[in-house]
Amino acid sequence: MKKPLSFPPFSGPKNQEKFAPALQAELRRAGLDTSGLLWCCSGDMSNEGEFKDMWLCFDAKGLYIAYGKAVVGRAKKKRKKIEATYTIDSISSIPLDDLSCLATERYVSTGRLTADENGKTVSLARFSIGKLPAFDDFAKMFNHYKDTGEIRPPEDHGHGERTCRKCGGPCPPGMDVCPKCTRNSATAVRLVKFFGGYVPQIALILFFMLLSAGVTVFVPQLGTRSLFDNVLANPDGKTAEELLKALAVLVGSIFGIRLLNTLLTVVQQYVTATVMPKVTYDIKVKIFAAMQRLSVNFYSSKQTGSLMERIIQDANQIYWFFIEGIPTLIIESATVIGVVIIMFTMNWRLTLLVTVAVPLIACALYFGDKFFRGMHHNNFLFRSKLSSMVSDNINGQRVIKAFAKEDEEYGRFTELNDNYRRAELKLALAEATLIPSIEISVIILSALILGMGGVYVIQGKMTAGTLLSYIVYLELLREPLQFLSWTANWWSRCADSAQRVFEVCDAEPEITEKEDAVEFDDLRGEIEINELDFEYEPARPVIKKLSLHVKAGQMLGIVGKTGAGKTTIANLIARLYDAKGGCIKIDGIDVRDLKLSELRGNIGLVSQDIYLFIGSIADNIRYAKPDASMDKVIAAAKAAFAHDFIMKLPDAYETRVGAGGQKLSGGERQRISIARTIIQNPKILILDEATAAMDTETERNIQNSLAKLKTGRTTVAIAHRLSTLRDADELAVISDGTITEQGAFRELIEKKGEFYRQYKLQQEALKAVGIADDVTETPLSEDD
Amino acid sequence: MTVTSITPETLTTDYLDPKVCEFYEYNGCFLGMRLNGEEHNRVILTRALPLNDPDNYVCVTDVERKELGIIEHIADFSAEQQSLIRKELSQRYFCPDITSITAIKEKMGHFYFDVKVGDYPMSFTIRDLVKNIRCTEGHVILTDVDGNRFLISDLERIDKKSRRKLEPYLY
Repeated sequence: MKKPLSFPPFSGPKNQEKFAPALQAELRRAGLDTSGLLWCCSGDMSNEGEFKDMWLCFDAKGLYIAYGKAVVGRAKKKRKKIEATYTIDSISSIPLDDLSCLATERYVSTGRLTADENGKTVSLARFSIGKLPAFDDFAKMFNHYKDTGEIRPPEDHGHGERTCRKCGGPCPPGMDVCPKCTRNSATAVRLVKFFGGYVPQIALILFFMLLSAGVTVFVPQLGTRSLFDNVLANPDGKTAEELLKALAVLVGSIFGIRLLNTLLTVVQQYVTATVMPKVTYDIKVKIFAAMQRLSVNFYSSKQTGSLMERIIQDANQIYWFFIEGIPTLIIESATVIGVVIIMFTMNWRLTLLVTVAVPLIACALYFGDKFFRGMHHNNFLFRSKLSSMVSDNINGQRVIKAFAKEDEEYGRFTELNDNYRRAELKLALAEATLIPSIEISVIILSALILGMGGVYVIQGKMTAGTLLSYIVYLELLREPLQFLSWTANWWSRCADSAQRVFEVCDAEPEITEKEDAVEFDDLRGEIEINELDFEYEPARPVIKKLSLHVKAGQMLGIVGKTGAGKTTIANLIARLYDAKGGCIKIDGIDVRDLKLSELRGNIGLVSQDIYLFIGSIADNIRYAKPDASMDKVIAAAKAAFAHDFIMKLPDAYETRVGAGGQKLSGGERQRISIARTIIQNPKILILDEATAAMDTETERNIQNSLAKLKTGRTTVAIAHRLSTLRDADELAVISDGTITEQGAFRELIEKKGEFYRQYKLQQEALKAVGIADDVTETPLSEDD
Repeated sequence: MTVTSITPETLTTDYLDPKVCEFYEYNGCFLGMRLNGEEHNRVILTRALPLNDPDNYVCVTDVERKELGIIEHIADFSAEQQSLIRKELSQRYFCPDITSITAIKEKMGHFYFDVKVGDYPMSFTIRDLVKNIRCTEGHVILTDVDGNRFLISDLERIDKKSRRKLEPYLY
């Protein structure tokens, strides 16, 4: 029989604020006393799986499930806060004594909250998968309360709801208004700020362009109107000699002006050419720097091709628009205004007709921008996929060749390439259709002006020279208008690129260093893991309440099946990810309170996947300490048993490795990575399956080098081959994220548990392949 | 003892036999299975090919995810059994099926979708289209920033306007 629970008066933290005051008022109206609520969360589905607003909460007496409707309104400008109205349709309650063991289950796109109700498993609620973290917290808090009668402080594991204060929608970290609610001009404003450092150069380019534009606008007045009306028409009845003189002055002036114009253009192009490399360099550096501060998780969620595209292509797009596009846009706009003013002074009737075209072009520009932006994005997607496929193909060449799949790979490439071609063609055709249609309107306008102007000349309301210069001015409008029609397209490319660049720049690193982060005074290397919880995805725990202790200078061996969470522990110690619950302390300091450089500088990671950077072997060995002398590099290579094979290579320590460099075997690469760690001289060493892919002899050699490396260091060794962990002071067997066995090697063998079973299996397997591993030397082998 | 060499021809999988396997409803909303007389009060069904062959190759495990067997074809079971299996699968694989797209707005690398699932309007946000929009065999799966999934079960069935809005983001 269940004993009725009696709880002390509650005084801990609550999360009642999750329920807005208006919702609490509505719940009270529906008959629920909200004053004692201990934990609340909101859902979006009924237990039957229909979309419905739902609220779940519990107090000391029971658990309550309310269904109803929430209507979220947009923020009013002045109040700047979202408003929501609630209606409650039904509330059901279950006595707290009847319920226990709340748990969440993860489905494909939904989740379920289950509980034990008087010994039977029941479903309490269903919800969209996005609500899983909140329901998971609710279940944990409920169970904790049932066990202890207390509510523990909530853990901030980064799943907290971030909502936009304007629309109530999801909001990226570090922003209180989501990108959707930011002003349309925000991208442009940010880009202008991006180019803040180049104001003098841009101003200089602009100055020369303006001068050039002014000269261009002045030429028709002199070259056409004066030539026809003052010289060729001879209105003052001058002699032939006088006319020739006037003509010579006019031609000389036109030549001089044209020459000046060309000089100005040359100077402007020279300034642009000097600015260009600097600007693209800076943009690329900014993107690359932003990428470097991001956490491992960011890289595992993006394709390499897409990231490379960002640095190279997007930087160029932004550059071209700002250094070439914006000054040209200003000049061309100024030219249009200047020309239209001159045209008004020449004949206002004809010019009114010209101004009719402007709204038409503005409309075409607006719709063109929308139309082209989507198409450019589509092109980017295809291009990224093509880049990723090529990089995938290059990296997988050995497998492709081994399976003789060259033709299929060629087929895959041509298919993707064809998709990209079609997307390019679609865009080119769209551009070829829309852009000339704007030009056609200019051609029609020219014809109308010519016809009407001709009538004015015949009627004597206009001179022939004025009409001709008017037509020249109209022609002068063509180029700026053509450019303006391209601006939409250009801007859409730039904005598309800018958005991707800002996405990288705005992304918040998941692993951040505290402002008051500390350094070690004198690191001993003691590792303490307390009730560690970790999950890569909500409700898919990888590490569950795991506790371990490694004394300074000792060696801990971690064994377990694939996927048991061994590597995750290594990643958490090095703080490549943050724990979701519990903590890891090094010398009594939580790793989250330590400076990242201090922490990672003192942890050496030797894993099965070795990455050698493009460069010489010596550079790779001194990667952690670039100033290490050559004799240190050689000594480290000797200690790692790498020196002999390095010296057999033609370029010895100067052999280029990494992509496109000298091919090295797995064992050779591993020995370089051990030498690299020896140079790093970490206090804590993590060996993650360091010898898993080696043959027995290489493994023995590497074991010898590892034995040297381990001396005087705290070592966490993860291994499949149990015999390699015989020197460990302590062994932990991990299964499904928890420790199932723990003790010294011999203790675990004598215990005859999971470790013993695995040990025996491996021993049998080694015997079967004829490898007399040293495991046979143990007395226990006699039992077999 | 003769050892048969493993070739694709000799590889076989044992599937659950509808004659010795019976599904039943447990506690109103869970599925149980009786296999060779042994009762498993809660079983979990997982499709091997959830997108392209949802009615075949369904793995049955207990709550500890220990495999109890594989259903080769759901159609091999009786109509009543099939409805129990399908009910459990529909709960597990429930995904809002988008019927029309009202708007897609893009800002700063975020894509804001206003859609309709039947008559029910829904809004969600997607980041990183390459990863989160998956187009396969005429259907599209969209995963939003919170991990929620949305489905367009038949791209040809949604209206032309909606399709045109989505097309720039598909590949």
